[in-house]
Amino acid sequence: MRKSILAGVGLLALSVLPAATAAAQTGTAWLHVRVEEAKEASKVAVNLPMTVVEAVLKASPEMIEKHGKIHLGEEHGLKMADLRKIWKELAAVGDAELVTVESEDENVKVMRKGDLVQVFVDNKAKPGKDGKPVKGGEEVRVEVPVSLVDAFLSGEGEEGNIEAAVAELQKRRGDIVRVKDDDSNVRIWIDEQNTQSPAGK
Amino acid sequence: MTKLAIILGVPIALLATIASLGVVVVDVREGGPDGNRIVVPVPLVFAQAALAVAPAVAPADKMRIPDEALEHVGLAREVLEALAAAPDGELVRVEERDELVVISKEGRSLRVRVSGERENVSVNVPLHLALQALPDEHGHIRTAALAGALGGVRFTDLVEVQDGNDHVRVWVW
Repeated sequence: MRKSILAGVGLLALSVLPAATAAAQTGTAWLHVRVEEAKEASKVAVNLPMTVVEAVLKASPEMIEKHGKIHLGEEHGLKMADLRKIWKELAAVGDAELVTVESEDENVKVMRKGDLVQVFVDNKAKPGKDGKPVKGGEEVRVEVPVSLVDAFLSGEGEEGNIEAAVAELQKRRGDIVRVKDDDSNVRIWIDEQNTQSPAGK
Repeated sequence: MTKLAIILGVPIALLATIASLGVVVVDVREGGPDGNRIVVPVPLVFAQAALAVAPAVAPADKMRIPDEALEHVGLAREVLEALAAAPDGELVRVEERDELVVISKEGRSLRVRVSGERENVSVNVPLHLALQALPDEHGHIRTAALAGALGGVRFTDLVEVQDGNDHVRVWVW
Protein backbone atom coordinates (compact mmCIF):
# COMPACT_ATOMS: atom_id res chain seq x y z
CA MET A 1 0.00 0.00 0.00
CA ARG A 2 2.78 2.39 1.04
CA LYS A 3 4.74 1.53 -2.09
CA SER A 4 1.71 2.31 -4.24
CA ILE A 5 1.29 5.71 -2.55
CA LEU A 6 4.99 6.48 -3.04
CA ALA A 7 4.81 5.41 -6.68
CA GLY A 8 1.73 7.60 -7.15
CA VAL A 9 3.44 10.60 -5.56
CA GLY A 10 6.53 9.97 -7.69
CA LEU A 11 4.50 9.84 -10.90
CA LEU A 12 2.66 12.99 -9.92
CA ALA A 13 5.95 14.79 -9.21
CA LEU A 14 7.34 13.68 -12.57
CA SER A 15 4.25 14.94 -14.37
CA VAL A 16 4.41 18.30 -12.57
CA LEU A 17 8.17 18.84 -13.09
CA PRO A 18 8.12 19.63 -16.84
CA ALA A 19 5.17 21.96 -16.28
CA ALA A 20 7.09 23.84 -13.59
CA THR A 21 10.09 24.25 -15.91
CA ALA A 22 7.85 25.40 -18.74
CA ALA A 23 6.28 27.99 -16.46
CA ALA A 24 9.54 29.97 -16.44
CA GLN A 25 10.33 29.71 -20.16
CA THR A 26 7.35 31.31 -21.88
CA GLY A 27 8.49 31.69 -25.50
CA THR A 28 7.41 35.33 -25.23
CA ALA A 29 9.84 38.22 -24.92
CA TRP A 30 9.92 39.73 -21.42
CA LEU A 31 11.47 43.04 -20.49
CA HIS A 32 13.17 42.90 -17.10
CA VAL A 33 14.24 45.78 -14.89
CA ARG A 34 16.21 45.17 -11.73
CA VAL A 35 17.18 47.90 -9.30
CA GLU A 36 19.20 47.07 -6.22
CA GLU A 37 20.03 49.66 -3.60
CA ALA A 38 22.50 48.49 -1.01
CA LYS A 39 21.98 51.46 1.31
CA GLU A 40 18.23 50.96 1.49
CA ALA A 41 18.57 47.17 1.38
CA SER A 42 15.92 47.20 -1.31
CA LYS A 43 15.52 45.21 -4.48
CA VAL A 44 12.97 46.03 -7.14
CA ALA A 45 12.28 43.63 -9.97
CA VAL A 46 9.89 44.37 -12.81
CA ASN A 47 9.10 41.78 -15.47
CA LEU A 48 6.79 42.80 -18.28
CA PRO A 49 5.80 40.86 -21.38
CA MET A 50 6.88 42.91 -24.42
CA THR A 51 3.25 42.83 -25.57
CA VAL A 52 2.36 44.88 -22.47
CA VAL A 53 5.28 47.27 -23.07
CA GLU A 54 4.03 47.70 -26.63
CA ALA A 55 0.50 48.40 -25.38
CA VAL A 56 1.79 51.03 -22.94
CA LEU A 57 3.88 52.75 -25.61
CA LYS A 58 1.04 52.68 -28.11
CA ALA A 59 -1.46 54.13 -25.69
CA SER A 60 0.61 56.89 -24.08
CA PRO A 61 -0.72 60.00 -25.79
CA GLU A 62 1.84 62.40 -24.35
CA MET A 63 4.77 60.36 -25.60
CA ILE A 64 3.56 58.77 -28.74
CA GLU A 65 1.58 60.33 -31.50
CA LYS A 66 -0.85 58.45 -33.67
CA HIS A 67 0.33 55.19 -35.26
CA GLY A 68 3.24 54.75 -32.87
CA LYS A 69 5.40 57.55 -34.23
CA ILE A 70 7.31 60.02 -32.12
CA HIS A 71 8.25 63.55 -33.08
CA LEU A 72 11.84 64.58 -32.69
CA GLY A 73 11.67 67.97 -34.38
CA GLU A 74 14.08 70.85 -34.21
CA GLU A 75 13.20 71.71 -30.64
CA HIS A 76 15.46 68.82 -29.59
CA GLY A 77 18.40 70.37 -31.42
CA LEU A 78 18.61 67.81 -34.20
CA LYS A 79 16.35 67.21 -37.16
CA MET A 80 15.27 63.64 -37.79
CA ALA A 81 16.51 63.97 -41.39
CA ASP A 82 19.99 64.88 -40.08
CA LEU A 83 19.89 61.98 -37.67
CA ARG A 84 18.99 59.60 -40.53
CA LYS A 85 21.81 60.97 -42.65
CA ILE A 86 24.37 60.62 -39.85
CA TRP A 87 23.17 57.12 -39.06
CA LYS A 88 23.41 56.09 -42.72
CA GLU A 89 26.97 57.35 -42.92
CA LEU A 90 27.88 55.60 -39.68
CA ALA A 91 26.39 52.35 -40.99
CA ALA A 92 28.70 52.57 -43.99
CA VAL A 93 31.78 52.91 -41.75
CA GLY A 94 31.18 49.58 -39.98
CA ASP A 95 32.82 48.76 -36.65
CA ALA A 96 34.40 51.87 -35.21
CA GLU A 97 34.91 53.93 -32.09
CA LEU A 98 32.55 56.78 -32.81
CA VAL A 99 33.04 59.03 -29.82
CA THR A 100 35.71 59.12 -27.15
CA VAL A 101 35.71 61.73 -24.43
CA GLU A 102 38.29 61.54 -21.71
CA SER A 103 38.23 64.09 -18.94
CA GLU A 104 39.18 64.36 -15.31
CA ASP A 105 35.72 63.42 -14.14
CA GLU A 106 34.39 61.22 -16.85
CA ASN A 107 35.25 58.86 -19.68
CA VAL A 108 32.68 58.42 -22.44
CA LYS A 109 32.96 55.98 -25.29
CA VAL A 110 30.44 55.35 -28.05
CA MET A 111 31.29 52.60 -30.50
CA ARG A 112 29.76 50.35 -33.02
CA LYS A 113 30.65 46.70 -32.63
CA GLY A 114 28.98 44.19 -34.91
CA ASP A 115 25.25 44.66 -34.67
CA LEU A 116 25.44 46.75 -31.50
CA VAL A 117 26.00 50.38 -30.62
CA GLN A 118 27.72 50.46 -27.26
CA VAL A 119 27.81 53.45 -24.95
CA PHE A 120 30.16 53.33 -21.98
CA VAL A 121 30.21 56.12 -19.43
CA ASP A 122 32.53 55.99 -16.46
CA ASN A 123 32.12 58.71 -13.90
CA LYS A 124 35.23 58.66 -11.81
CA ALA A 125 35.00 58.74 -8.06
CA LYS A 126 36.34 62.04 -6.78
CA PRO A 127 39.38 61.73 -4.53
CA GLY A 128 39.02 62.73 -0.92
CA LYS A 129 41.34 64.97 1.06
CA ASP A 130 43.73 62.09 1.71
CA GLY A 131 43.83 61.28 -2.01
CA LYS A 132 41.87 58.05 -1.64
CA PRO A 133 38.74 57.72 -3.80
CA VAL A 134 35.51 58.51 -2.01
CA LYS A 135 32.02 57.55 -3.03
CA GLY A 136 30.53 58.94 -6.22
CA GLY A 137 31.80 56.72 -9.06
CA GLU A 138 29.35 55.46 -11.62
CA GLU A 139 29.49 53.05 -14.55
CA VAL A 140 26.90 53.11 -17.30
CA ARG A 141 26.75 50.45 -20.02
CA VAL A 142 24.16 50.78 -22.76
CA GLU A 143 23.89 48.39 -25.68
CA VAL A 144 21.53 49.29 -28.47
CA PRO A 145 21.08 46.92 -31.41
CA VAL A 146 21.77 48.60 -34.77
CA SER A 147 18.51 47.12 -36.08
CA LEU A 148 16.64 48.95 -33.29
CA VAL A 149 18.01 52.31 -34.40
CA ASP A 150 17.25 51.37 -38.03
CA ALA A 151 13.67 50.59 -37.04
CA PHE A 152 13.27 53.80 -35.03
CA LEU A 153 14.57 55.88 -37.92
CA SER A 154 12.27 54.14 -40.41
CA GLY A 155 9.56 56.75 -39.77
CA GLU A 156 8.91 59.56 -42.18
CA GLY A 157 9.56 63.27 -41.76
CA GLU A 158 10.22 64.30 -38.20
CA GLU A 159 8.78 61.11 -36.77
CA GLY A 160 10.52 58.18 -35.17
CA ASN A 161 8.79 54.85 -35.58
CA ILE A 162 8.16 53.50 -32.08
CA GLU A 163 6.01 50.63 -33.33
CA ALA A 164 8.83 49.30 -35.51
CA ALA A 165 11.33 49.87 -32.69
CA VAL A 166 9.23 47.84 -30.26
CA ALA A 167 8.82 45.08 -32.86
CA GLU A 168 12.62 45.03 -33.14
CA LEU A 169 12.99 44.92 -29.35
CA GLN A 170 10.75 41.83 -29.33
CA LYS A 171 13.57 40.03 -31.17
CA ARG A 172 16.33 41.27 -28.88
CA ARG A 173 17.64 38.97 -26.14
CA GLY A 174 20.21 40.12 -23.61
CA ASP A 175 21.29 43.23 -21.74
CA ILE A 176 20.24 46.68 -22.86
CA VAL A 177 21.29 48.89 -19.97
CA ARG A 178 23.53 48.40 -16.95
CA VAL A 179 24.19 51.19 -14.48
CA LYS A 180 26.39 50.61 -11.49
CA ASP A 181 27.39 53.06 -8.81
CA ASP A 182 28.43 52.89 -5.20
CA ASP A 183 24.97 52.35 -3.84
CA SER A 184 22.90 50.95 -6.63
CA ASN A 185 22.79 48.56 -9.52
CA VAL A 186 20.33 48.91 -12.39
CA ARG A 187 19.97 46.33 -15.12
CA ILE A 188 17.50 46.26 -18.01
CA TRP A 189 17.41 43.24 -20.26
CA ILE A 190 15.15 41.07 -22.40
CA ASP A 191 14.79 37.30 -22.35
CA GLU A 192 12.05 34.69 -22.47
CA GLN A 193 11.88 34.03 -18.72
CA ASN A 194 8.81 35.21 -16.85
CA THR A 195 10.88 35.70 -13.73
CA GLN A 196 14.33 36.94 -12.77
CA SER A 197 16.07 33.66 -12.11
CA PRO A 198 19.36 33.65 -10.17
CA ALA A 199 21.11 32.74 -13.43
CA GLY A 200 19.82 35.90 -14.96
CA LYS A 201 21.17 38.18 -12.25
CA MET B 1 -46.22 16.07 6.66
CA THR B 2 -46.85 17.97 3.42
CA LYS B 3 -47.05 21.23 5.40
CA LEU B 4 -43.68 20.53 7.03
CA ALA B 5 -42.18 19.73 3.63
CA ILE B 6 -43.43 23.06 2.28
CA ILE B 7 -42.32 25.00 5.38
CA LEU B 8 -38.81 23.54 5.15
CA GLY B 9 -38.65 23.11 1.40
CA VAL B 10 -39.43 26.67 0.32
CA PRO B 11 -36.67 28.41 2.32
CA ILE B 12 -34.18 25.65 1.49
CA ALA B 13 -35.00 25.97 -2.21
CA LEU B 14 -34.73 29.76 -1.95
CA LEU B 15 -31.36 29.51 -0.18
CA ALA B 16 -30.14 26.97 -2.72
CA THR B 17 -31.17 29.26 -5.57
CA ILE B 18 -29.41 32.26 -4.04
CA ALA B 19 -26.33 30.15 -3.28
CA SER B 20 -26.29 28.78 -6.82
CA LEU B 21 -26.23 32.35 -8.13
CA GLY B 22 -23.23 33.15 -5.94
CA VAL B 23 -22.54 34.72 -2.57
CA VAL B 24 -19.95 37.29 -1.54
CA VAL B 25 -18.73 36.32 1.91
CA VAL B 26 -17.04 38.79 4.25
CA ASP B 27 -15.38 36.94 7.10
CA VAL B 28 -13.87 38.98 9.95
CA ARG B 29 -12.06 37.24 12.77
CA GLU B 30 -10.74 39.33 15.64
CA GLY B 31 -7.73 38.02 17.51
CA GLY B 32 -7.44 37.53 21.22
CA PRO B 33 -9.51 35.52 23.68
CA ASP B 34 -12.51 37.89 23.38
CA GLY B 35 -12.23 38.24 19.63
CA ASN B 36 -15.44 38.09 17.67
CA ARG B 37 -16.08 36.43 14.41
CA ILE B 38 -18.44 38.12 11.97
CA VAL B 39 -19.46 36.41 8.76
CA VAL B 40 -21.61 38.42 6.34
CA PRO B 41 -22.85 36.56 3.29
CA VAL B 42 -24.21 38.87 0.59
CA PRO B 43 -25.96 37.17 -2.31
CA LEU B 44 -24.23 38.14 -5.54
CA VAL B 45 -27.61 38.72 -7.10
CA PHE B 46 -28.24 41.58 -4.60
CA ALA B 47 -24.96 43.25 -5.55
CA GLN B 48 -25.79 42.78 -9.24
CA ALA B 49 -29.27 44.23 -8.74
CA ALA B 50 -27.86 47.22 -6.85
CA LEU B 51 -25.37 47.86 -9.66
CA ALA B 52 -28.07 47.51 -12.28
CA VAL B 53 -30.35 50.11 -10.65
CA ALA B 54 -27.56 52.47 -9.57
CA PRO B 55 -27.72 54.68 -12.71
CA ALA B 56 -31.44 55.24 -12.13
CA VAL B 57 -31.09 56.33 -8.50
CA ALA B 58 -27.64 57.92 -8.30
CA PRO B 59 -26.96 61.46 -9.60
CA ALA B 60 -25.51 61.36 -13.13
CA ASP B 61 -22.27 63.10 -12.08
CA LYS B 62 -21.62 60.41 -9.48
CA MET B 63 -21.73 57.74 -12.18
CA ARG B 64 -19.01 59.40 -14.20
CA ILE B 65 -15.27 59.57 -13.63
CA PRO B 66 -13.46 62.97 -13.67
CA ASP B 67 -12.22 64.22 -17.05
CA GLU B 68 -8.57 64.16 -15.95
CA ALA B 69 -8.91 60.43 -15.21
CA LEU B 70 -10.76 59.78 -18.47
CA GLU B 71 -7.70 60.45 -20.60
CA HIS B 72 -5.89 57.52 -18.97
CA VAL B 73 -8.72 55.03 -19.47
CA GLY B 74 -7.50 54.10 -22.95
CA LEU B 75 -4.05 53.26 -21.60
CA ALA B 76 -5.54 51.26 -18.72
CA ARG B 77 -7.71 49.29 -21.14
CA GLU B 78 -4.78 48.55 -23.49
CA VAL B 79 -2.62 47.42 -20.57
CA LEU B 80 -5.33 45.23 -19.03
CA GLU B 81 -6.10 43.61 -22.39
CA ALA B 82 -2.41 43.00 -23.06
CA LEU B 83 -1.99 41.56 -19.56
CA ALA B 84 -4.99 39.29 -20.00
CA ALA B 85 -3.47 37.91 -23.20
CA ALA B 86 0.06 37.67 -21.75
CA PRO B 87 1.53 34.54 -20.18
CA ASP B 88 1.57 34.16 -16.41
CA GLY B 89 4.48 35.52 -14.44
CA GLU B 90 5.75 37.68 -11.62
CA LEU B 91 5.39 41.27 -12.82
CA VAL B 92 6.74 43.24 -9.89
CA ARG B 93 8.71 42.30 -6.79
CA VAL B 94 9.81 44.90 -4.27
CA GLU B 95 11.94 43.59 -1.43
CA GLU B 96 12.68 45.93 1.43
CA ARG B 97 14.04 45.39 4.92
CA ASP B 98 10.66 44.78 6.48
CA GLU B 99 8.30 44.38 3.55
CA LEU B 100 7.82 42.33 0.44
CA VAL B 101 5.43 43.33 -2.34
CA VAL B 102 4.72 40.95 -5.19
CA ILE B 103 2.38 41.55 -8.11
CA SER B 104 1.89 38.57 -10.38
CA LYS B 105 -0.37 37.48 -13.15
CA GLU B 106 -1.91 34.12 -12.42
CA GLY B 107 -4.39 32.83 -14.93
CA ARG B 108 -7.03 35.48 -15.48
CA SER B 109 -6.17 37.44 -12.35
CA LEU B 110 -3.66 39.90 -11.04
CA ARG B 111 -2.52 38.96 -7.56
CA VAL B 112 -1.04 41.57 -5.22
CA ARG B 113 0.67 40.28 -2.10
CA VAL B 114 2.16 42.48 0.60
CA SER B 115 4.00 40.75 3.41
CA GLY B 116 5.21 42.77 6.36
CA GLU B 117 6.45 42.02 9.82
CA ARG B 118 2.97 42.18 11.25
CA GLU B 119 0.63 42.46 8.29
CA ASN B 120 -0.03 40.26 5.30
CA VAL B 121 -2.35 41.41 2.52
CA SER B 122 -3.41 39.46 -0.52
CA VAL B 123 -5.65 41.02 -3.18
CA ASN B 124 -6.86 39.18 -6.21
CA VAL B 125 -8.05 41.31 -9.14
CA PRO B 126 -9.86 39.34 -11.85
CA LEU B 127 -8.73 41.00 -15.09
CA HIS B 128 -12.08 40.74 -16.84
CA LEU B 129 -13.77 42.39 -13.85
CA ALA B 130 -11.19 45.21 -13.93
CA LEU B 131 -11.84 45.64 -17.67
CA GLN B 132 -15.58 45.87 -17.10
CA ALA B 133 -15.02 48.35 -14.28
CA LEU B 134 -13.42 50.77 -16.73
CA PRO B 135 -15.78 53.51 -17.87
CA ASP B 136 -16.93 53.96 -21.46
CA GLU B 137 -15.48 56.61 -23.80
CA HIS B 138 -17.68 59.30 -22.19
CA GLY B 139 -16.48 58.42 -18.70
CA HIS B 140 -19.70 56.72 -17.61
CA ILE B 141 -19.25 53.74 -15.31
CA ARG B 142 -20.86 50.74 -16.98
CA THR B 143 -22.68 49.31 -13.99
CA ALA B 144 -24.69 46.79 -15.99
CA ALA B 145 -21.52 45.32 -17.54
CA LEU B 146 -19.89 45.30 -14.10
CA ALA B 147 -22.91 43.50 -12.65
CA GLY B 148 -22.67 40.89 -15.42
CA ALA B 149 -18.94 40.43 -14.87
CA LEU B 150 -19.46 39.80 -11.15
CA GLY B 151 -20.96 36.44 -12.02
CA GLY B 152 -17.65 35.42 -13.54
CA VAL B 153 -15.64 35.87 -10.34
CA ARG B 154 -17.26 33.05 -8.40
CA PHE B 155 -15.04 30.79 -6.32
CA THR B 156 -12.42 33.53 -6.07
CA ASP B 157 -10.63 34.89 -3.02
CA LEU B 158 -10.76 38.65 -3.51
CA VAL B 159 -9.09 40.03 -0.40
CA GLU B 160 -7.29 38.53 2.56
CA VAL B 161 -5.76 40.65 5.30
CA GLN B 162 -3.91 39.25 8.27
CA ASP B 163 -3.06 41.99 10.76
CA GLY B 164 -1.52 40.49 13.85
CA ASN B 165 -4.20 38.19 15.19
CA ASP B 166 -7.00 39.83 13.20
CA HIS B 167 -8.03 38.27 9.96
CA VAL B 168 -10.33 39.55 7.22
CA ARG B 169 -11.23 37.55 4.17
CA VAL B 170 -13.59 38.44 1.32
CA TRP B 171 -14.36 35.81 -1.23
CA VAL B 172 -17.02 34.94 -3.75
CA TRP B 173 -18.61 31.55 -3.44
